[in-house]
Amino acid sequence: MEAAVSDNAGRKVASSSLSAELARRRAFICGLIAFLLVASLPLLPVNNYILAATVRALIFISLGQAWNVVAGIGGLLSLGHGVFLGLGCYTTGILFNKYGIPPWFGIWVGVVLSLLVALVMGAMTLRMRGVFFALATVAVSLAMVQISRHFVDLTGGADGLALKFFGNSWWAAQSRTPAPFLYASLIFVTAYYWITRWILNSRFGLEMQAVRDDEVAAAAAGVPVFRTKILGLLVSAAMTALAAGLYIQFYMAIDPEAAFGLSQAIQLQLPALIGGLGTAWGPIIGGAIMIFLSEITNWGGTKVGISGIDILVYGLMLLAVVLYAPKGIVGTVLRNAVKGGAR
Amino acid sequence: MNAPVPALEVRGIARNFGGVVALRDVSFSVREGEVMGLIGPNGAGKSTLFEIVSGNIRPTSGRVSYFGRDCTTMATHLRRRAGMCRTFQKVRLFESMTVRQNISVAASQCLPKGRDVQTEVTTILAQLRLEAQADRRPSELTLADRKRVEIGRAIAGYCRLLMLDESLSGLTHDEAEHLIEEILALNRARGITVIVVEHVLSVLAAMVKRLVVLHNATVVADGTPTEIAHDPVVIEAYLGTKQKTLR
Repeated sequence: MEAAVSDNAGRKVASSSLSAELARRRAFICGLIAFLLVASLPLLPVNNYILAATVRALIFISLGQAWNVVAGIGGLLSLGHGVFLGLGCYTTGILFNKYGIPPWFGIWVGVVLSLLVALVMGAMTLRMRGVFFALATVAVSLAMVQISRHFVDLTGGADGLALKFFGNSWWAAQSRTPAPFLYASLIFVTAYYWITRWILNSRFGLEMQAVRDDEVAAAAAGVPVFRTKILGLLVSAAMTALAAGLYIQFYMAIDPEAAFGLSQAIQLQLPALIGGLGTAWGPIIGGAIMIFLSEITNWGGTKVGISGIDILVYGLMLLAVVLYAPKGIVGTVLRNAVKGGAR
Repeated sequence: MNAPVPALEVRGIARNFGGVVALRDVSFSVREGEVMGLIGPNGAGKSTLFEIVSGNIRPTSGRVSYFGRDCTTMATHLRRRAGMCRTFQKVRLFESMTVRQNISVAASQCLPKGRDVQTEVTTILAQLRLEAQADRRPSELTLADRKRVEIGRAIAGYCRLLMLDESLSGLTHDEAEHLIEEILALNRARGITVIVVEHVLSVLAAMVKRLVVLHNATVVADGTPTEIAHDPVVIEAYLGTKQKTLR
């Protein structure tokens, strides 16, 4: 009798994991097709505008994935990830312009600086529960805006900093066409996707999710809560700062608002929020949709002479997701797939 | 002659919240392998004492020893890794994870080196009859099963002392009896010392050989269930007529 019950249940479990396996395989094939399509874009007869828009999307996906690690998996609502983006961009840019250090090396200094700032921020706020961490990230962002405005000699002040242009150059990591950046950003997106996947399936990822779900229960299960939160923040900060290297090389300029401003920080959150928090696919889907819509609306906006419609579109999309798909697009699709599979 | 080291020893614990005295001079000890009940009416200080022993609240004074080792200021997750395990009054599971993952979290943290996490998780799922639920999420389970998962997570890896905070409340009579049997089985099979906190005396009488009664922030009785049931102080504490008129 009991054997029959467990056998029945076993079959149920097997069928649901089978459908999950199928979904995973389908996602992998879709991902592979998307990857090949994007990688072959420069070979197709498309103009540089479309290539550049694709690079913009890929960069935002990378940055969104980095934020997803700390906020989606770890549940730490960082409202100031622009700090790490800005530190990465400014450090790389200043070291290049002032000291001639190529970005290949400069960016690592940016990563180390970001890690230090993340460590100080985390050590001060992550022992406390609740909103202190989120507030601290906002405070640091606002401080960084002022600091970057103040040191005009180094940062160019409110006007920002523009990289010295060397044309097509390997050592300066610069290019007149967007194609090299397309490959670089595609590598970033792929690598960050695998990092997120790896974290989600690792013991560390399980710890982060436990802390996200319930800190008190996590501690009672033996999880070192504070250490887990700090580590999650450090990983995310390093990923953000590293992707910032790509950002500055592609955009060739950075200013205080674009680096540390709150609207930038919000843009970093949108791919994961729209696509699905805490999933490896979420930021990819969310970021792609976001940039696609913003390009279309900006193009339409300039036709009729209105600018800044993209911000409005972001807002509406976020509202729609919160109302109709609170787990994001991927989260909602995944849930329905699993439910359908079990039946 | 040396008495064996108690599994848990609480000495002179006091805790104030502002001007409110939640506990004063609470002392008792629990032998290894014992199943002990801690009871008291609402507001007696059970929860505060529970949180002090499990590490979420620091006492104002006094000390807590675990197998002879002072652990009064030890971090919660280190206590757990040392085998001090607990459940929560209101079940707290990792809602985004499956039952198996819930138990894996604790097993991967607390299992002694060289032992396999998956084997441990499978053993616990079997022991608590949760195999069929292993790949479900907590929100799909009945309250009784949720409590089972919490106990599973509490003992996974390494457990010498299990503290259950009103694990039986909210269950039907049958469910409670089943859970009691399972807890006693764990006590026998794994040699786990158990402390059960409840506010209803009758539930515990069948389960434990010893009861400690907490009332008005301190221990008022300590003995077998039969002794406790006839103790005039305890009867007064629960019926409370004299106490209330005195106030």
